Amino acid sequence: MGLVACRRCTHLWPLGTQVCDRCGHRLQSRDKMALQKVWAWLIVGLICYIPANLYPMLATRTLISKQESTIIGGAIDLAHHGSFGIAAIIILASVFIPIGKFMAVAALAIGVKHGSRMTQLRRQQLYEVVEYIGRWSMIDVFVVAILSSLVQLGALASISPGRASLFFALSVIFTMLSAQSFDSRMIWDQEGPSPHPESLQPKSTKASA
Amino acid sequence: MTETPPNIPIRPARRSLIERLSIVWLIPLLALLIALGVAWQSYAERGPLIKITFENASGVVAGQTELRFRDVSVGLVEKIGFTEKLDHVVVSVRLDKSVSPFVDDGAEFYVVRPEITSRGVSGLETVLSGVYIQGVWDDQAGGLSNEHEGRSDAPLMDSQDGGLRLFLKAAPDAGLTENAPIVYQGIEVGRIGRAKITEDGQTVEAEAIIYASHTQLVTTATRFWDASGFSFSLGSGGARIDFSSVASLVSGGVTFRTVVSGGRPAQNDDEFLVYADEGSARSSVFSEEEGASLDLTAIFDDNVSGLAVDAPIDLGGVRVGRVTALNGMVDPDQFGDNRVRLAATLSINPARLGLEGEAGPDQALDFLARRVREGLRARLVSASLLSGGLKVELIVEDVPQSPDASLDLEGQPNPRFPTTDSDIADVSATAEGVFERINNLPIEELLQSAIGLMDNVSRVAGSPDLRALPTDLRAAVGDVRDVIGAPEVQALPARISAVADQIETLVKTLNDQDISGRILSVVDAAQTAVDGVNESVAGIPDLVDRLNAVAAKAETVPLDQLSTDLSDLMQSANRVLDTPGARALPEDLGQALTELTAVLGEMREGGVVGNVNATFSSARQAADTLRDVAQQLPALLDRARAMIGQANTTLQGYDAERGLGRDVSTALREVERAAAAVNSLARALERNPNSLLFGR
Repeated sequence: MGLVACRRCTHLWPLGTQVCDRCGHRLQSRDKMALQKVWAWLIVGLICYIPANLYPMLATRTLISKQESTIIGGAIDLAHHGSFGIAAIIILASVFIPIGKFMAVAALAIGVKHGSRMTQLRRQQLYEVVEYIGRWSMIDVFVVAILSSLVQLGALASISPGRASLFFALSVIFTMLSAQSFDSRMIWDQEGPSPHPESLQPKSTKASA
Repeated sequence: MTETPPNIPIRPARRSLIERLSIVWLIPLLALLIALGVAWQSYAERGPLIKITFENASGVVAGQTELRFRDVSVGLVEKIGFTEKLDHVVVSVRLDKSVSPFVDDGAEFYVVRPEITSRGVSGLETVLSGVYIQGVWDDQAGGLSNEHEGRSDAPLMDSQDGGLRLFLKAAPDAGLTENAPIVYQGIEVGRIGRAKITEDGQTVEAEAIIYASHTQLVTTATRFWDASGFSFSLGSGGARIDFSSVASLVSGGVTFRTVVSGGRPAQNDDEFLVYADEGSARSSVFSEEEGASLDLTAIFDDNVSGLAVDAPIDLGGVRVGRVTALNGMVDPDQFGDNRVRLAATLSINPARLGLEGEAGPDQALDFLARRVREGLRARLVSASLLSGGLKVELIVEDVPQSPDASLDLEGQPNPRFPTTDSDIADVSATAEGVFERINNLPIEELLQSAIGLMDNVSRVAGSPDLRALPTDLRAAVGDVRDVIGAPEVQALPARISAVADQIETLVKTLNDQDISGRILSVVDAAQTAVDGVNESVAGIPDLVDRLNAVAAKAETVPLDQLSTDLSDLMQSANRVLDTPGARALPEDLGQALTELTAVLGEMREGGVVGNVNATFSSARQAADTLRDVAQQLPALLDRARAMIGQANTTLQGYDAERGLGRDVSTALREVERAAAAVNSLARALERNPNSLLFGR
């Protein structure tokens, strides 16, 4: 006997109920479009990530010079100047983590459709990590925003956000949306003796109805 | 509860692709579209890459150095490389698309660096920000040109400002300083660019720019002069030091003034001469031609020095041009000999010819060709007596040497203007001729003649004969008078009878004493004296001839002095004749006669009278002797008359009008009178011979 929960008011209804009697929300056990959404957001995030790396992230203008640096270029500059720690953080936060997220979400989505070598528990844990880290991905954008607002010394020196910061923020946002679109239950839907009837049942009900 | 239906496979209805797709796919689609749009846009907006070649690219950094136009960034240096031979730096600049059509062949680029000059500091901002490349191009879109050659220094003019570009050429005695300001009334209104030596190596020329707001100050009548340095003068007004500005004192500068009105506004690329100082600049206005000039060649046969470039060309006393070039010319084919001729290039200013209407070189050529047919010729004349400089004069000859000469329009390189004999000697030769004629005057001969004349005159005047003559004559006359006037002679007739009887002895005594012989000798002496006068007077016509000759010569010399001298000479001759000796001539004659008297006195003292009575017996003998004596007297008288006649002839021999003649004739008239007295004495003796004996 299956139940379906209303996504708005969380009232439980017997499986097959079309509309929540309490809030009028349409009841659906699984979002059939979920994977499409994941992929769609992921692709937008990737698209945004490209200019985020090509365009300068920060424009530093001092009395003497004007410097615009991309994310990686800035990190390399920092490393040249000996700030390996900060360079590492920047590389980690701005390169490895976003790329890791893309890969993780993509792997999860693929795993739902075609199965995976990873166990379902691992995949669930991976999803949780992605979800958790997502909120810290904006650290670059925060740094840029804070620096830009702090370092405005008129003619002497000023820092302004480059075009990349916008794209980077968008990329992070879209990646988060992608991660959120992923329904972690789909990981578990594959398990069990008869995943198909369970997943197909509402459809058949609907079709039959 | 219902039974569970049999587990039958259900085939879901196939839904359309649209239904199966999530709406979310629109977002990546949109993102993709935006990305593609942005990519296309940025590609489309990407300007062309131009290459600028520089000598060096110090301070230029790839990806950082900007290309600026009017201090606005219009491009970025993308790459810095070298030319193939590594002798230049090639800077590749990504140009903004908006300006690329303007970056045509006329565009100029230079690297702006900080620069400290005497005028101030420029490009200071590049000290901190780094250099940038300044591009200069005009507002005419001439199509993109990809290869450019960068300048090593800033061009004079930002073409957009529309300043006036001029070429300044230093006069031979002036100089030009690079990058010097052009100052007008103390305000900098332009700049001189890079100066370079002219091709002929004679002077310096430079491009210059008058800023757009001041271009109306410059017209074709404007004259530039060098205002650099300072001038110091010390005069009655005290010491005075002049300089235009401190900047021009250090760096040099040029100023200008439009001296006369009437010039048309200057055009781009007009050429101006920079004079050494204001004075020469101002005076040049009146000597320099305006407008296009007509060049002619005149070939002068005499290759003389003195004609110089810039020598004036006069037509009817008006300066119509100047000599612009001088060359020697040897052309045996044309002239038939190997003499060097002087080929002068005459630059005629048509405006000065006074032609009506539009006076261009062609009209001037027509006019001159017409005038040449009427006889106009070019010749060299002295421009200045002191300097010996020459000028060219166009004149119409009174008697044309070559009447059919014409303006040779086919002459190369210029039409040839016919020439005629030069009049170089005009002034100097005239002076020389005067001196030569003075030199040729027979002054020495004249003086010699004058000296000879004086000598002759003084010889005549001082000749003892002449001197003796008057004295002797006077003495003789005086004696005769004394004898005649003596009481004994007066009483002679009365006493004759008383002593008649003693005459015999007296006559005997007289015979003894040889009276008649002595009388004869006296008369001979007188004769000699008269001969002397005659002789000397005979020289006088000769003298007069010579005087005449001298006077004739003197007449050829228009010198008053000479006549003055001559009159002086005559005066001295007068003075000579006026000497006491000459005046004493009658006295001397008297003296001569005194001797006679003395003889007679001796005769008397010899007791002649006292013995009359005693010797009366011999009176007849005496009377006979006396008759003999008296018979001899007519001969004496004849001789005296002959002498006087001779003297008269002599005196008539020369012009009585002349002073000398007058003096001499006066003197001789006295002689004549004396002779007349002798004559009357002789007659008296003839009538009454006794009176000689008896004093009556």
